Amino acid sequence: MNELSNRSRDIGEFIPQPDDDMIVCRCEEVTKGEIRKAVHEGLWTIAEIRRYLRCGMGLCQGQTCAKLVKGIVARELKVSPALLEPATSRSPMRPVEMHVFAKETEDTDL
Amino acid sequence: MKIERFDLIVVGAGPSGLSAAIEAAKHGMKVVVFDENARPGGQLFKQIHKFFGSKEHKAKIRGFHIGEQLLKEADDAGVKVELNATVAGLYQDREVVVRMGDEVHHFKGDAIIIATGAAENMVLFDGWTLPGVMGAGAAQTLMNLYGVKPGERILMLGSGNVGLVVSYQLLQAGCQVVALVDAAPKIGGYGVHAAKVARTGVPFYLSHTIKKAEGTDHVTGVTIAEVDNHFQFIPGTDKHFDVDTICVAVGLSPMSQLLKMAGCKMEDNPKRGGQVPIIGEYGETSVPGIFSAGDVSGIEEASSAMIEGRMSGAVAAEYLGYITKEEKEEILAKLKASLGSLREGMFAPKNRGKDIKETEEGIPISTNLLHKGYVLDSEIERFPGVTHKKGVHPVIECTQNIPCNPCQDACTRHCIKIGSHITALPAVDETADCINCGMCVASCPGQAIFLVNEDAGDRKAEITLPYEFLPLPETGMKGTALGRDGQPLCDAEVTRVRSSKAFDGTNLLTISVPAEFAMKARFFKAAAQA
Ligand SMILES: Cc1cc2nc3c(=O)[nH]c(=O)nc-3n(C[C@H](O)[C@H](O)[C@H](O)COP(=O)(O)OP(=O)(O)OC[C@H]3O[C@@H](n4cnc5c(N)ncnc54)[C@H](O)[C@@H]3O)c2cc1C
Ligand code: SF4
Ligand code: SF4
Repeated sequence: MNELSNRSRDIGEFIPQPDDDMIVCRCEEVTKGEIRKAVHEGLWTIAEIRRYLRCGMGLCQGQTCAKLVKGIVARELKVSPALLEPATSRSPMRPVEMHVFAKETEDTDL
Repeated sequence: MKIERFDLIVVGAGPSGLSAAIEAAKHGMKVVVFDENARPGGQLFKQIHKFFGSKEHKAKIRGFHIGEQLLKEADDAGVKVELNATVAGLYQDREVVVRMGDEVHHFKGDAIIIATGAAENMVLFDGWTLPGVMGAGAAQTLMNLYGVKPGERILMLGSGNVGLVVSYQLLQAGCQVVALVDAAPKIGGYGVHAAKVARTGVPFYLSHTIKKAEGTDHVTGVTIAEVDNHFQFIPGTDKHFDVDTICVAVGLSPMSQLLKMAGCKMEDNPKRGGQVPIIGEYGETSVPGIFSAGDVSGIEEASSAMIEGRMSGAVAAEYLGYITKEEKEEILAKLKASLGSLREGMFAPKNRGKDIKETEEGIPISTNLLHKGYVLDSEIERFPGVTHKKGVHPVIECTQNIPCNPCQDACTRHCIKIGSHITALPAVDETADCINCGMCVASCPGQAIFLVNEDAGDRKAEITLPYEFLPLPETGMKGTALGRDGQPLCDAEVTRVRSSKAFDGTNLLTISVPAEFAMKARFFKAAAQA
């Protein structure tokens, strides 16, 4: 049991900040304010935030923003970033076009 | 579906991956290395500077040459290196999915070594998404691989070795570096790297960070401000610079996703740079047959990455029965000693975050070096590399305990002593006679060695300094001597220019200055052409 598993813990109100419109995830154009708001709406894990806002799901697969998003969520939850489980790593690790994958079915000995 | 089998599959052809492949192939294993880049060598191919370490770590060799050496060794050992091959997936049963061209291929390795390195971190500030803001590594790729200047006027954020080395390379490419900025109160990288940037006149702003990048469709300026102990901006400390480029060098994060995907146990370890696999001493992950080596399991250096690679290669060879346990132990013992020597000194992983005030020899560290990037005239005399004597003698301005000793090996006259402990400060032996051969100056990766003749006659002193800029000044050329702080000191004239294959690209410039500047003048700036 840690500060993250008790979802009824009071993390306070969402208070707007002057830099809320700053883009954090460039690929999916997600702002700092959107991420902070999501935490106050009850999305406390990186996986949840990712599914909700799509940050880290674009072309670079979170290479640039993963650490930044983690920092913002951790600050909002008032926990150490190390406590937050990073998003699940899934194949493909780099974006692969559908037509490339689709070629696999052309194999005869499948 | 076709699956090709290998004894060992290595992901990443950087120093660690290539070293792992070489070690394994030497023991008869069938090895393939995949790398998504068009060129092998990982980070090494962008590194045009000479490396630290000792001979066994390939010290004083330029990074890209180390890459070429490794590639040749891999080739000779029969390793297959597949480029433009992106590994998209790794599964627990050691199946590897690779995208090559417009196709996806499947491979199976009896052992897998992940050596995928690391990616650059970013920081958030107003305007960080503007074109012109880029990672220092990206700037390096532009200039060193593609021959493109990243910009004309550049501000560098980050004073670790990457920020310092890339700043120097930007200067070499002919860019202007207007400021080197870091939020930390102290310079993070090696003092010798900082000093070679500072002496060209680049100002350092520690305890400062970027407030705002200005511009509408690209960077046209930047505002920095001082921060307090809690990294909050101090009002009234804003400083503005006109720049077209902002380089960010704020650390690297391991690219460990493949290991996580394969089910290896992971941890968040800030000392190792972020998400890393939990590994044994030689890179064994929690999944049998899957190993990791190099920056992906903890941000370090190319020199340590090569040793870690060899270790995991040897462990994989024993895992598959290509060598006996005894043979493995013998290989590992040697590598362990070599790795240990690299992990000593004040920049060692175990000392990260510690406030070190004295060298191992008990000499107070220059605080000015940590804050401004150069040792003060009043501080330099206390270091053992700085001595005085009649005639030409070496002056070594290397004042921190770093794992490096090529200067000692370079001097056949035994003027320079480090001893067997490679992090010890280099000391000059005044009883040995210097023959002014210049080998020490050229072999020092920190460009910290000068040959000084304090009395060259006619109340002049002569100083020989390492010079790696173009155009190369010619004998007789007049200009200005700069101090360690990069500020103009006095008139100077070039009296000799030496270039030689043995100097490997480092030119030796000898300048004549008034005798009172013998221990102060450390850089030469040619007079503007009329
Ligand atoms: C500016 C700078 C200066 C440096 N100076 C020094 C120095 O003076 N001395 C020193 O010892 N070290 C230095 N280093 C550090 C050194 O370069 C690194 O520590 C070293 O390169 C790490 O080696 P590696 O093999 O672990 O990773 P890398 O060199 O990063 O290689 C990893 C390789 O894996 C490939 N890869 C990643 N993911 C995939 C995938 N999914 N599929 C296929 N391929 C993949 C990448 O393309 C890359 O080629 C410097 C680094 C920088 C940035
Ligand atoms: S110039 Fe030559 S002889 Fe003199 S200290 Fe350097 S390496 Fe030794
Ligand atoms: S003076 Fe010697 S130890 Fe110091 S950086 Fe130069 S070669 Fe390395």
